[in-house]
Amino acid sequence: MGQILQYVINGLMSGAIYALIGVGIVSVYKATKVVNFAHGYLIMFGAYFYYTFSVIVPGMEIMPDWLASWQPEWLLAWKAGLPMFSPMAAVADWIANLPRIGLGLVGAMVCNTLLGLLIERVLMRPLMGQSTFAMIMITVGMISILSGAASLIWSADADFVPHISPNAPIRFTLFGTTIFLFGADLVNMIIALLLFAAIVAMVRFTTSGVAIRATAEDQSTAYSMGISVPKVFSGAWALASLTGAIAGAILATRNGISPSLGLFGFSVLAIVLMGGLDSYGGVLIASLVIGVIEALTQWKLGGDWAEVVPYVAVLIVILIRPHGLFGQKEVERI
Amino acid sequence: MITGNLKSTYAADEQVFDNRNKKLFFAACILFLVGLGLFANDYVILMACRMGLMLIAVVGLNVVVGYTGQMSLGHAAFVAVGAYTTVVFYHLVGPYFPAGIMTILAFAVAIAVSAFVGLIVGLPSLRVKGLYLAVATLAANFIVIFLIEQDLFKPWTGGMVGTDTPTPNLFGWELDTKREMYAMITTMAVLMLLFVQNLLRTRIGRAFIAIRDRDYSAEIMGISLLRYKLLSFAISAGYCGAAGALWAFFFARILPEQFELTLSLQLVAALIVGGMGRTMGPVFGVIIILLVPELIKLGFGGLTGGDASMGKYRAPLQEIAFGLLIIAFLMFEPLGLVAITDRILRAMNRWPFAR
Amino acid sequence: MKMNRRTMLASSAAAVSVLGTPALLKAAPKDYVIAASLPMTGPFATAGQLVSPIFKMIEVITNANGGIGGVPIRTTVDDSGYVPQNALANYQRSLATEENLVYYFGDSTGFMKLVAPELKGDNATLMGSTSFASELANPAENPYQYLSGPTYQDQFDILLQNIKAQGGTTVAFIYSNTEFGRDPLETGRKKAEELGIKVVLEEATKPQGADIPTHVTKLAQSGAEYCIMHGYVSSVWPQLIGGAKQFGLPTKFMGTFWGMEKLIADKVTAQAGPFLDGYSGVMPYRYFYDNADAPRYQAYAAFAKKAFAGTPLENYLPTWALEGLCSIEIALDAMRTTVEADKPLTADNLAEAVANIKDWDSGGFFGPKVSMNHNKMGVGRVYSYSTETKLFTPTSDWLTT
Repeated sequence: MGQILQYVINGLMSGAIYALIGVGIVSVYKATKVVNFAHGYLIMFGAYFYYTFSVIVPGMEIMPDWLASWQPEWLLAWKAGLPMFSPMAAVADWIANLPRIGLGLVGAMVCNTLLGLLIERVLMRPLMGQSTFAMIMITVGMISILSGAASLIWSADADFVPHISPNAPIRFTLFGTTIFLFGADLVNMIIALLLFAAIVAMVRFTTSGVAIRATAEDQSTAYSMGISVPKVFSGAWALASLTGAIAGAILATRNGISPSLGLFGFSVLAIVLMGGLDSYGGVLIASLVIGVIEALTQWKLGGDWAEVVPYVAVLIVILIRPHGLFGQKEVERI
Repeated sequence: MITGNLKSTYAADEQVFDNRNKKLFFAACILFLVGLGLFANDYVILMACRMGLMLIAVVGLNVVVGYTGQMSLGHAAFVAVGAYTTVVFYHLVGPYFPAGIMTILAFAVAIAVSAFVGLIVGLPSLRVKGLYLAVATLAANFIVIFLIEQDLFKPWTGGMVGTDTPTPNLFGWELDTKREMYAMITTMAVLMLLFVQNLLRTRIGRAFIAIRDRDYSAEIMGISLLRYKLLSFAISAGYCGAAGALWAFFFARILPEQFELTLSLQLVAALIVGGMGRTMGPVFGVIIILLVPELIKLGFGGLTGGDASMGKYRAPLQEIAFGLLIIAFLMFEPLGLVAITDRILRAMNRWPFAR
Repeated sequence: MKMNRRTMLASSAAAVSVLGTPALLKAAPKDYVIAASLPMTGPFATAGQLVSPIFKMIEVITNANGGIGGVPIRTTVDDSGYVPQNALANYQRSLATEENLVYYFGDSTGFMKLVAPELKGDNATLMGSTSFASELANPAENPYQYLSGPTYQDQFDILLQNIKAQGGTTVAFIYSNTEFGRDPLETGRKKAEELGIKVVLEEATKPQGADIPTHVTKLAQSGAEYCIMHGYVSSVWPQLIGGAKQFGLPTKFMGTFWGMEKLIADKVTAQAGPFLDGYSGVMPYRYFYDNADAPRYQAYAAFAKKAFAGTPLENYLPTWALEGLCSIEIALDAMRTTVEADKPLTADNLAEAVANIKDWDSGGFFGPKVSMNHNKMGVGRVYSYSTETKLFTPTSDWLTT
């Protein structure tokens, strides 16, 4: 019993991150009707930007020492008294890393947003009104460009990045089994869910949110009602790359930084389709469900089985409900 | 110069080669391919074989994507099925048949099995289209590769480490050199290209095109979507299966990872670059998609003088070039290279009167 | 017939031409080509990029010493991205364009298996590789491929015996979901059973970007005393150990050759803290800093000091580079023997020479003199890492399997 709980919790934690990634795909789709196959690679860029600003930049000679590792007197004194690998030592390490974590996050968000805007302006806007096929294939082409560019800019070195929150181990006993949790994972889950909620609230309640929804409903009508559709487009891409930056940073701390982070995009795409492309709620539910199923598969059948879970799930769902669990059915007129 | 085609019968209108220039062009192509086989060096033969293998698969993809208008990002799965079927077939029934006819049998079985898998993968196409279909086929690709890698099927597929493949044997003629394989691959590629061209002038081909242009309208006009969409997937998968079978004969060993998403994307990219829904599209596309990386490699080697430390920049550049090719064609010439050659030919035709 | 000066000259010229022609024709090669595919991009890029410069180094050093029987060698390096098919294309390209390709260095188990059935007749080439896969040490099926050390299965054996010697009873295998990672599993399982060690967990992970928290919780739940990690190069294994240490798991971690690199261990220690202390594993060679009894290492060091100044290779060659160097040294040794025996450098002659290497003085790679046995060199040592000295130090004698 306890064991199952352990994996359910694991699954919920990774599911929350899937949801955060998925929110970027849904936002772009809602506003522009483009499904971004390259979203995973946008996230990879977010991860690499986080790495750049939290590891490379602070490590440069011209940067002050406190940026790389902040060591005020009181922190050193406190740390000296702590046993190695204890929860409090993890907190102390985190405090020392705070400056570079902050720089990393801000840098990643700014750079990734700029990248998203650039992609929108250069590749997406000229293709407004083109066929779905062309739009999808443009994002497929983007996959190659982004992953090639990443290996040109950053040596493909697998590297370590500081955790966003203190990675204190948490362990407690439940139904007779010890449950192990990483503090950072818990915080990551909370960050992901909060961000998700914030975006949903924004789309629901703010003016720009209404603009996005109006554009999603009907582009030309929205245009004629005085909504600047191009602005909605760039807004959606900015939102997607911003959340992508945070998701990337989280993934980088969890799994280490590597070009393979881009592959997350495909499984999340499957999850998003399962939930319904235009439904935030559906994507959240699908993400958590897939996260849990994946973790349980991982537990019982092993890692290689877990990798195909999203794909099998999406195939089954699409065959039964072609527009996903909560997606809106498109009405076609001839 | 031909300025127009006079057709006095429907039969003449439906010919595969409906004018003299096309016939000449075809003859020249055959001559060129034969010449290549006789005189080219090993490296060129190697490249030509890879192009031929890919061409067959892209021609198949063209049936679904170009003519029937259904998205697919999972055609590498069918290539995998074809390749593995060949190997498994040899393992299972190899001992009971003379080696001389095994190759042809295996080839036929590979096509049949792939076509059957195509039917299954094509099922979602009845319910969804466009993007959903793209993701469904992509998912199918992941799942097929996953199944091949499973330990459960290891006795037949060799699992993750791959499996050795048989040497083709046509009625006692062992094709154990690359040049002999070149002959087989190009013959098959040309035949299969002609077959598709022939298919398009039949009822089936016209049904495909009607579905591409508007599926519901086609249905109203009495074309069974169920039947023709699935048929399209089956034919297309059969082609990829043929490519897979030849792949297994050409390479001495196959690994599941050769048939992953990358190959699917390459196939689609070749189709976009060459031109969808056109006969010569796949041909041009495959040549470009396989030639550009080689040219970059050659050029890069020349520029850096073979400096090992620069070597790590080559693959990313090839990757970027691949992406740029797709994007550039979609943005500036969505009809592909075929449209460009069309324009050039037309301009030559009308010269000096109009451009 | 009276022998005068002219007939004497003529007949000796004729004799030379009759006897010597084959030799003259043979002596024609301008150079011998040693080509390689390395993973300079992709998941194992770190290793590929650090290994690639050594090919130039071995070329310069060998040619300075007269090449192979007076003929210089030339090296070329290609990137494969750790995709076997790319490596195969690279090899086929080299074969088609290079006239005297005498040795090819492959970059993965996958490539070596992919290429093995192609190595027939004129297409055969002597091959070493980065791989220690057991399937490759099979002279009957793959006469042209050899390993420059013990197989992964041998390495697992050594580790399991080590665990047994320390009194361990449970072990977890964590491996990457690649042919590389899966290679020694089956025999490892058997060996563990033989030794009475219980395998409590077998966990497959992605080769990079693995879901660390899940894997660590699984390890924690399994309660293994020892954990052998296999199939990684620069990532995943340090994160796994880091995660386990943060939980305070008492599990002792062990690695195989590719996870025994000091550069990675040092980097992890600098970036994430001293949790690799006590990490141990099998390494077939001496580490590069242990060069007191290793004349080859000293020669490399002298070269590296000058040629690689300013790069990470200036003062230290990673284990990955040593593996490549050892493989090439074996090939060069075989070439010299073949040339001395006045035979042409065909793949068959070279493979025979490699297979017959007996009591080879490796110049320091291995402690004892080694022999090629079943196309592998079954020698290795267990090392353990200390975060204080930042060195891997041997904890066992040279072990032969």
